[in-house]
Amino acid sequence: MTDNWKRISVGGGILALLVILPLITTRSDILTWSCLTLQYILLSQSWNIIGGYAGQVNLGHAAFFGLGALTTRYLWLSALPLPFALLAGALMATAFALLIGIPAFRLRGIYFVIGTLVLAEILKVVVDTRLPVASVLPAPILATYSVVPRYYISLIGAVLAVATVYGIHHSKLGLGMIAIRENEDAAKTSGVNILKYKLVALAISTFLAGLAGGIFAFYMIAIQPGYVFAPVWTFDPVIIVFIGGIGTIIGPLIGSIFFVLLKQWMSLYLPGGFHLAVFGVLFILVVLYLPDGLIEVIRRHTKLIKAFG
Amino acid sequence: MFKFLAQTFVNGINVGALYGLAAVGLSLIFGVMRILNVAHGEFLMIGGYIGFWLFTLYGLDPFMGLPLVAIFLFLFGAAFYKVVFARVARFHEELKLKNSLLIGFGLYLIFPQIAMVLWTSDERAISPVYSGKAFGILGLRFGYVPLGGILVALIVIIALQLFLTKTYFGKSLRGTAENWKAAKLSGIDIDRTFMITFGLGISLAGLAGVLIGLIQELTPVMGIPWTLKALVVVVLAGMGSIGGAFIAGLILGIVEAVSAIFMGPYTIAIGMLIFLIILMVRPQGLFGRT
Amino acid sequence: MLEVSNIDVYHGDLKALWNISFQLNEGEVVALIGSNGAGKSTLLETIAGLLIPAAGSVVFDGIRLDRKPSQRIVQLGVSLVPEDKGIFPYMSVLENLELGAFNKRGRRLKDETLKLVYGLFPILKDRGSQPAGTLSGGEQQMLAVGKGLLSRPKLLMLDEPSMGLAPLVIRNIFEAIYQINRIGVSILLVEQNVRIALSIANRAYIIENGRIVHHGDSKNLLTDEKVRHAYLGTLSI
Repeated sequence: MTDNWKRISVGGGILALLVILPLITTRSDILTWSCLTLQYILLSQSWNIIGGYAGQVNLGHAAFFGLGALTTRYLWLSALPLPFALLAGALMATAFALLIGIPAFRLRGIYFVIGTLVLAEILKVVVDTRLPVASVLPAPILATYSVVPRYYISLIGAVLAVATVYGIHHSKLGLGMIAIRENEDAAKTSGVNILKYKLVALAISTFLAGLAGGIFAFYMIAIQPGYVFAPVWTFDPVIIVFIGGIGTIIGPLIGSIFFVLLKQWMSLYLPGGFHLAVFGVLFILVVLYLPDGLIEVIRRHTKLIKAFG
Repeated sequence: MFKFLAQTFVNGINVGALYGLAAVGLSLIFGVMRILNVAHGEFLMIGGYIGFWLFTLYGLDPFMGLPLVAIFLFLFGAAFYKVVFARVARFHEELKLKNSLLIGFGLYLIFPQIAMVLWTSDERAISPVYSGKAFGILGLRFGYVPLGGILVALIVIIALQLFLTKTYFGKSLRGTAENWKAAKLSGIDIDRTFMITFGLGISLAGLAGVLIGLIQELTPVMGIPWTLKALVVVVLAGMGSIGGAFIAGLILGIVEAVSAIFMGPYTIAIGMLIFLIILMVRPQGLFGRT
Repeated sequence: MLEVSNIDVYHGDLKALWNISFQLNEGEVVALIGSNGAGKSTLLETIAGLLIPAAGSVVFDGIRLDRKPSQRIVQLGVSLVPEDKGIFPYMSVLENLELGAFNKRGRRLKDETLKLVYGLFPILKDRGSQPAGTLSGGEQQMLAVGKGLLSRPKLLMLDEPSMGLAPLVIRNIFEAIYQINRIGVSILLVEQNVRIALSIANRAYIIENGRIVHHGDSKNLLTDEKVRHAYLGTLSI
């Protein structure tokens, strides 16, 4: 019981700190850094749901991030109030996801992987060709641009994501997803409706991803439309989830912080896009040697510490 | 009008042969090892660039250089398997697939960076003297280079089929693909089989890369689009169908060329359309087994 | 010839075999009897190198087999015909047999062994070019045994060869197994059909829940009260 209370109070404390952060500091770099981290938390938790809990490797997550981003951007810039624009973006992402998921999930896992990959790439190419010009915030909006509301929206998004994962983790849905992840055939014979659970996981996951895209679209001053479909938007959440700890609630949180810090540090010392290559190597090493992520490392160490008294 | 369509058809076959060659390696690797090499296009790119190097640095005619590229990429692929994928290949099927997907995905980020360092992000093309030349039959234009590409692809694929059906080792590959446990019990060294299969598949990708460099251009980011093409072709043909992959490649090439007439920049979406149709109507592909 | 000593084998986290020990002498036919799930298949798979024992050892002709890769074990002369027959369904019958001879010794003696197999199972010659998956159950079992034989083993292990087959076909196959033993191949047989197993085996071990609970000469086991009651029903032989 005390463990739970400890967790709740720590979590609550951190949350309170995050809420009042813009009030206690005006340093734009801290706010920007936090804002980005919160967005990464939202995006990585979204992948965590489909990839970590349900065990369906989605390599085209960028498709859903991008769909949310572009839909929100254009609707919002066309004077639709932000909340509706965000919702529309998230729903657009989910719609495309189900378009692939419904035919693909009836078959072997491989088809889903290929389908999402293909979708992401096609969207990127089509958007790149049809919308080559960057979208820049118009003057009136630019004049009143402030990180603070964007920070709070990102915070809401992150909290929503963590709450969703928490809810899934402690629900029958989560149990079903994990069963599918561990052994799909066994789950099927235990009576788990494989198709339904996979689709639900996909819907939730892509909804949150679309939301992340929408928030990103709201946050960025200028966006190259094709860029939001770039593979980095799949890669970043995937590596965050793996580094932090796949299929856990806290994993993506730790991973996001670690990732943003590492990226920041590397961009200072490494040329151009080379940090991508470093992340690629790091990722492969994690997959091969540390599949349970940092969380597992921490758990093992805390056990050691506890053992020493 | 007819001539226009016929020429489109020819152009489609030119590209389609390359699609097919790119897909055959992917199909081979998946069929035998149950590993979906989502970084296939990256190896294809490397092969292309090596062919480019041999041509521009040593003046080696690209068609002459093909065997060298094939050998180098075979060794590279086999070594790569040993170092990176071997650990993963020992897991049981689902986990093996997932982990290999993730690793392949990680390669997405590494290879383009390496390529940018070695060859810059400028577009490169392999342009020997006979590059633009063509001959005409019945008013249709047949380029020397694309024709050479089709010929090479055909030879390679026929050779592969012969290897798989007539040689002992080739048969052991097929056996491993059908029932790896039985293969083990027959005394087949699965590890070594996997390593050689992967090397072969990568080698085929490299060959395709060189031919692509002759017809189109090479860029550090060409890996993903070509992996995508190969994936669609493999789905269209049916998982594990190797000869079928070539034919499916031709089909995709032709369909794309014809659709480009009225779809313009959206032509790439044809791949997605084909993918969805296959999934809903005939998941085992055109030539796959149920 | 084969000495299994105190092996423990796990299937994942589940313990399947407890402290199993038994021997097989050259030229013998030894049967492993037991009901479903008793661990018989696990035992054979362990000897064949598909599983690694957590404890204990498997020694064949003085060489330790456990921890060796399966292809090495085939080379050393131990061959397993698994329960699911272990055939390649889309490859022809002949190709299946040829792949059975993949190891060096098998390849060297391939033609000779093929003649032997065709002598035992003439139908395999007739169906030579047919895909193995189109064969009937009994024919597939014959193919599986023939394939195992093509590796020229010193010890041939068979996992439930009678499974799902009609009595006449079973007789056919066991006749062949008897012949194979007569030319010098030792046999380790796992069977649920106790009667037929004991009719061909010199000795038998009874496995229950992953442990060996009884063993002896076939003759004695056939008349043993406990065995008769548990496995042979109350019919007299």
